[in-house]
Amino acid sequence: MPWIPGMKLRTLLLTAVVPLLSGCSTASFRLFHPAGVVSSIEWHYTLIDVGVMSLLIVPVTIMIAVFVWRYRKSRNARYDPTWSHSLGLELAMWGIPFLTVIFLGYESYRSTLLVNPYGPAALNYADAANPPLQVDVVTTDWQWVFIYPQYGIATVDDLVVPAGRPVKLWLTSTSVTNDFFIPGVAPMIDVMPGMRTMDGFQVNVPGSFEGFSADFSGAGFSWMQFSTRIVAKPDFDKWVAATQASSNQLSYAAFTKLAEPTVNVGAKPAYFSQVPSGLFMDVYNAARAGTVYAIPEQLKISTSSVDYTQGRDGTN
Amino acid sequence: MFVHLQGPYSFLFGRLTLASIPYDNAIIQFAFGFAAIAAILVVAPVLYYRKIPYLFREWLTTVDHKKIGVMYIILGLVMMFRGFFDGLMIRTQQVMADGPHSAGHLEAAHGYLPPAHFDQIYSSHGTIMIIFAATPILTGLGNIIVPLQIGARDMAFPTLNAISLWLTTVGAALVMASLFIGDFSTAGWVGLIPLTELDFSPSSGVDYWMWAIQISSVGTTLNAINVIATIVAMRAPGMRWTRLPIFTWTTLSTSIIGLTAFPILGVALALLGADRYLGTHFYTAGLGGNLMLYTNLFWIWGHPEVYFLVLPAFGIISEVIPAFSEKPLFGYVTMVAATFAIAGISWVVWLHHFFTMGAGPLVNSFFSVATMVVGIPTGVKVFNWLFTLYRGRLTFATPMLWAVGALFLLLIGGLTGMMLAIPAVNYTVHNSVFVIAHFHCMVLLIVYAAFAAVSFWWPKVFGFKLDETTGKLFFWSFSIGTILLFTAMFGLGFMGETRRLDYLYNTQWFPALVIEEIGVGFYSLSVLIFFAMLFVSIRDRVKNAASADPWGTSRTLEWLTHSPVPFYNFAVTPHVNSRDELSWRYLNNLAATAPEHFEEIHMPNNTPVPLIIGALAFGFGFGLTWRIWWMTGFSLLGIIAVVIYRSFARDKGYHLSAEVMTQLEREPPLGVIAESQYLSKHPLTGAGAH
Repeated sequence: MPWIPGMKLRTLLLTAVVPLLSGCSTASFRLFHPAGVVSSIEWHYTLIDVGVMSLLIVPVTIMIAVFVWRYRKSRNARYDPTWSHSLGLELAMWGIPFLTVIFLGYESYRSTLLVNPYGPAALNYADAANPPLQVDVVTTDWQWVFIYPQYGIATVDDLVVPAGRPVKLWLTSTSVTNDFFIPGVAPMIDVMPGMRTMDGFQVNVPGSFEGFSADFSGAGFSWMQFSTRIVAKPDFDKWVAATQASSNQLSYAAFTKLAEPTVNVGAKPAYFSQVPSGLFMDVYNAARAGTVYAIPEQLKISTSSVDYTQGRDGTN
Repeated sequence: MFVHLQGPYSFLFGRLTLASIPYDNAIIQFAFGFAAIAAILVVAPVLYYRKIPYLFREWLTTVDHKKIGVMYIILGLVMMFRGFFDGLMIRTQQVMADGPHSAGHLEAAHGYLPPAHFDQIYSSHGTIMIIFAATPILTGLGNIIVPLQIGARDMAFPTLNAISLWLTTVGAALVMASLFIGDFSTAGWVGLIPLTELDFSPSSGVDYWMWAIQISSVGTTLNAINVIATIVAMRAPGMRWTRLPIFTWTTLSTSIIGLTAFPILGVALALLGADRYLGTHFYTAGLGGNLMLYTNLFWIWGHPEVYFLVLPAFGIISEVIPAFSEKPLFGYVTMVAATFAIAGISWVVWLHHFFTMGAGPLVNSFFSVATMVVGIPTGVKVFNWLFTLYRGRLTFATPMLWAVGALFLLLIGGLTGMMLAIPAVNYTVHNSVFVIAHFHCMVLLIVYAAFAAVSFWWPKVFGFKLDETTGKLFFWSFSIGTILLFTAMFGLGFMGETRRLDYLYNTQWFPALVIEEIGVGFYSLSVLIFFAMLFVSIRDRVKNAASADPWGTSRTLEWLTHSPVPFYNFAVTPHVNSRDELSWRYLNNLAATAPEHFEEIHMPNNTPVPLIIGALAFGFGFGLTWRIWWMTGFSLLGIIAVVIYRSFARDKGYHLSAEVMTQLEREPPLGVIAESQYLSKHPLTGAGAH
């Protein structure tokens, strides 16, 4: 296994595993169809891992099934009541999993660098001609605020980024821990109050995706989705200009109103201009200084205060 | 000193008011009615047959390791039933609450559970299944089997053993009390931080969760000490380390984990308690707190806890497969080495529970590789079992079915575990139901092993076999449920369904959700079959009466004594000659040899002290949960006083003379674990009494 050159093995495995996993009509299996650069690498390593492990698991499964059938008492197969030790077999039992782990461990290390949320080696942040787009992400109870510090704009529950350009995210939370995740686009990363995390992704063709919080954050968690729109570069510039013209403005004072616990049913977006570039750090510093947005009891106990009837259409 | 909380407070009842009791909730009314009927069904016969003195004398005050083990397992099964109900409710809510047009019933907008209620249910499902079902069942099995396997008279510290049981029971009782008085935590069984802080969870729910785990984990730690001391110091002559049965080895390794890991959980929860009661800032986001400190501490316990549960399960499989293959276990030394390798590595893998925290790639890579390394000894174990089957003479009694089923679960759980171990893969499925399906494969492996153990050792403990027909039906129904439910769940993970959703926004998930619900239907069916199995088995107990070795192919020492095991285990401490002692005796025609003469033996006296400590511990936990300070203080002082009293009590147990032993062995008493009740019918006199 590990002694076979890596690329050959990979081709071999991919041809073996892909038909198994992506049979007919897998459109709803979002992870099978990665769109982003980083997500494609993640899926690639998923296949390598499953493939290599199958080389062990499948034969063992078959052997268990065969032995269970073959050595049934009623079949009177060969019975050897004393055989309980074999040095060669036992060395192989330790050796084969050991070699597998060495190989997968190396692959794991390489892939971890490639998709590292703090600066994925798969993305080029250093290209002056195509610099990464900076987006600051703030989770409240239970909405997503995306701040574009470069352009002085912000959105709620709508992440719009240009195709073909790396996106660099800083993330923090006003209240409790969430997880930022866009299946098929961006790797998952924790969003924590009083802490800053980073994430990075890039999608080269326009498209629409769904993002959501993957870590339970309270009563409104199930409604905590956001739309992700990858648009062509000219469309992005137009969108930025239109948003900059919005009459909604978001100062820190206005933000504290926005951050009050809210269940945003249907993830209805909102757009803001005149956003101070230091808003993200203000939120982060406030959390570190002990600012907490208390959750009204009725939001947790009763649902009567929230209109849940206009949920989002589930078909993406 | 204490944090000031809003809301009514009284000296007598603390935060507890009539409004804390959710008597107006239809689901709670149903649960209460159900629990009340179950309680009546249990209590009424006890009262009718005037069995309270018997219950008190023979069970509630017992220090017999077998009876304590049986009570552990009963506790675990009762709590597993509750946990199953929670699981049924979770699945039913999700299938009913899919899509914006799904109907709402009772107080819910979608499905029938509002978010706060749903969140309590999945939190209690996890807490119960891990801490109050799997842990007590495995602890109970260790309690019953280990002293028998090593030829000991009892555990090293019989009274401490009973204290462990009652502390675990108190934890379970607090969780059950939260159902009817107040609420339970909504922050998951792991206690998601900072959701568990007062700012976000001001009600009593998190306190119930925290104190239930805290008190029961004291019990688990004490039990670990007891098991280690028993195995190290109380082995029968000839029971060298190289002859120790595998189940005993795994119980030893698991107890070392328990002894070292549970105190960390204690510290993690104590600091959370300080935050909630004293207003400190260990885990808050602001004011110098560090919430990842909690997550790290919790999983430094939490991952070893996984192996704390799975290693005894491996031990059970290693006992059952050789017995029904009529062959010794393949690679004994390798198996022991693998067990301790797993136990050791379990300490350095905890971070894989939060690769998404944002640690650097080198840190994540280290924990990734460490996690995969666990796969090596685990793989070795699978090979060991595989080659034990090879050239065996296999019979498929119920225990063997469960054991072989567990192997398949381990293979699937191992495959998906190796996927989750790679951070790049983990970033796509972490916190999704893929993870849920993975760890349910592992936890179900433990459940399969536990059912294998229950059916395997049942005749040893109770003197009759469980019914095989209903037993096999139970296995197949349970397995069909498992396959349907978790295949669909793996699929949903790839579709991007995240865990803990009380409302599902994606209607494409509906077919898979229906398959999951059908799987749960099979689980419900198997619960009914389980009760039928108990009924049929008890009805036919005379017909199915068991000999010392009811399977005919058992291999280890515990099968050498009577079934049911007399209260003194072995009339004469056996001398051990071989690794598989009973097989060795069969080969050398020594299995039936009765001892030539009996000797005086020493037994511990029953005592109500553990029960009293348990009752006071409940008062302690309940008082703390509702901040009823007088109750807390009284209970704590009471526990200290009782312990001091017990330390000075000159209770040295009693002796059974050689003549009494001869008499007892000549007519082995029949009944549940052949009890010391015999002694109350034939009171000891003269030299026998002490």
